[in-house]
Amino acid sequence: MNITVCIGSSCHLKGSREIVTKLQELVRKEKLEESIELTGSFCMGQCVRGVCVTIDGTLYSLSPEQTEGFFYKEVMGRLTP
Amino acid sequence: MLEENAKLWNIKHEVLCQVAKAVYAGTLEEVRDQIPYQMIPGPQARFRCCIYREREIIRQRVRLAEGKAPNEAEQDQNIIQVINSACEGCPITRFTVTDNCRKCISKKCQQACNFGAISMTKDHAYIDPAKCKECGKCANACPYNAIADLMRPCKKACPVDAITWDEYKIVHIDEAKCIRCGACIGNCPFGAIGERSFIVDVINLINAKKPVYACIAPAIEGQFGKDVSMGVLREAIKDLGFTDVYEVALGGDLVAESEAKEWAEARKEGQKKTTSCCPAFVNLVKKHYPAVLEHVSTTVSPMAAISRYLKQQDEDAIVVFIGPCVAKKGEVLDHVADKTADYVLTFEELDAMFQAKEIEFSNYEGEMQQGSIYGKRFSQSGGVTKAVLQVLGELGEDTDIKVKQCNGALECKKALMLLKIGRLPEDFVEGMACEGGCVKGPGSVARDQVAARDRETLLAKADHRTIRENIQAFHAEGVEMHIHP
Repeated sequence: MNITVCIGSSCHLKGSREIVTKLQELVRKEKLEESIELTGSFCMGQCVRGVCVTIDGTLYSLSPEQTEGFFYKEVMGRLTP
Repeated sequence: MLEENAKLWNIKHEVLCQVAKAVYAGTLEEVRDQIPYQMIPGPQARFRCCIYREREIIRQRVRLAEGKAPNEAEQDQNIIQVINSACEGCPITRFTVTDNCRKCISKKCQQACNFGAISMTKDHAYIDPAKCKECGKCANACPYNAIADLMRPCKKACPVDAITWDEYKIVHIDEAKCIRCGACIGNCPFGAIGERSFIVDVINLINAKKPVYACIAPAIEGQFGKDVSMGVLREAIKDLGFTDVYEVALGGDLVAESEAKEWAEARKEGQKKTTSCCPAFVNLVKKHYPAVLEHVSTTVSPMAAISRYLKQQDEDAIVVFIGPCVAKKGEVLDHVADKTADYVLTFEELDAMFQAKEIEFSNYEGEMQQGSIYGKRFSQSGGVTKAVLQVLGELGEDTDIKVKQCNGALECKKALMLLKIGRLPEDFVEGMACEGGCVKGPGSVARDQVAARDRETLLAKADHRTIRENIQAFHAEGVEMHIHP
């Protein structure tokens, strides 16, 4: 699974770096390094919806505070069938 | 020809400069659509068939400068992008009979062709493009070398065969194969290939008064003339709005020390290793020779090393790597969670910012040396090897090591193939995807002999501190040097 976080300046100012760090911590905590690839992307052109995060191409918008909830619902939800 | 290249370069530079100016002024939203009209006021076309096409090319270049794909319909995420409005769809049929053809009696070309593509005209042989499968047997068979092997310049430049085209001959880059070396960018004579830019993001963050640090790659010395030293650059770049400026050569010193330890270890265990500082080389291994991935050093790149060093001191630091490299842009995206640089700019983009802010180097002075001469030479083919051997010497280890220095992607491919089948005679591989090293990178502003001479003039002023002395002087021993901290 690929999680991509937009690192454009608009998303950066809304906390994309914090989201990356949190996601990385959660991936490690759940020992999912082998199955989740975490990458950045150029501006996704959806700045009003930032911070933009995609899971295998599906766009989500989240704030740093929502990261943990997003991880357990959307990411883990997809991993456990 | 020189003039034509300069013209192409000017268009790219002018677009970046206009965009940079607008972002600094906070007016990009309003002027974005006007830039094509400002640059091409008409009624005369400047460089193409008509003003409408020129304006479309510039509109697409503005999108690239904003980090977007030039074509709205394009979905791929690649750094390297085709500006489809600028692509000429070069109608080159690969094998062409030249006037050297004697229309000889033996007709070896016709015999060699398995597809019946060759017939005889009044004067010489003719290859039917519809039947030709581009196998090249006719060219090899001709005793007069009368059959020329012509290739589209982008395809010829690509070391990994990532260039394809559609039915209109408009080029597409296969993202799965592309190693982002950027060779195609400089080799398209129509300037139809470019790369996404972070220039807007970086200036936005400067405008937002964030602590944005510039880390300048060692290849920079010589790029802006013999009088523009690291000290001058530091002050000039600070006037662009950066908080401070660091030399990536210090990261190079750290990498040399880490790789020296790795090499010494590997040698005792009889293992072979490759360097890991060139991101296009690493992409080449990952995408085309994954079997040898275990041989790639796990030491981070000099860019990541200097970023980690900086973030140790200021954890809010936004680090911008400024270098001659296009593949580095991909490295920051691929390693977004690994505490590397946050953004990458090329020297071309830096130059556009200098012009946007009307920076005159003659107004600045200053001295700075943060890298050893070995770290500074990391950006030249053979430089990484020399630095690693220097550290091995400083550590009192054996320096009698055989290293295959691969100068350019084609040499890298050969060495990787030998490594894969277990036939590589050398112990180590230094991989650099650009011929000559980073100093010849696609994002540089000067690649000529004058730049090389200016570079030597500047490097001659560096003192001869050793690598380990330099690391200690900067208290950089504690930087975590392996991937995934």
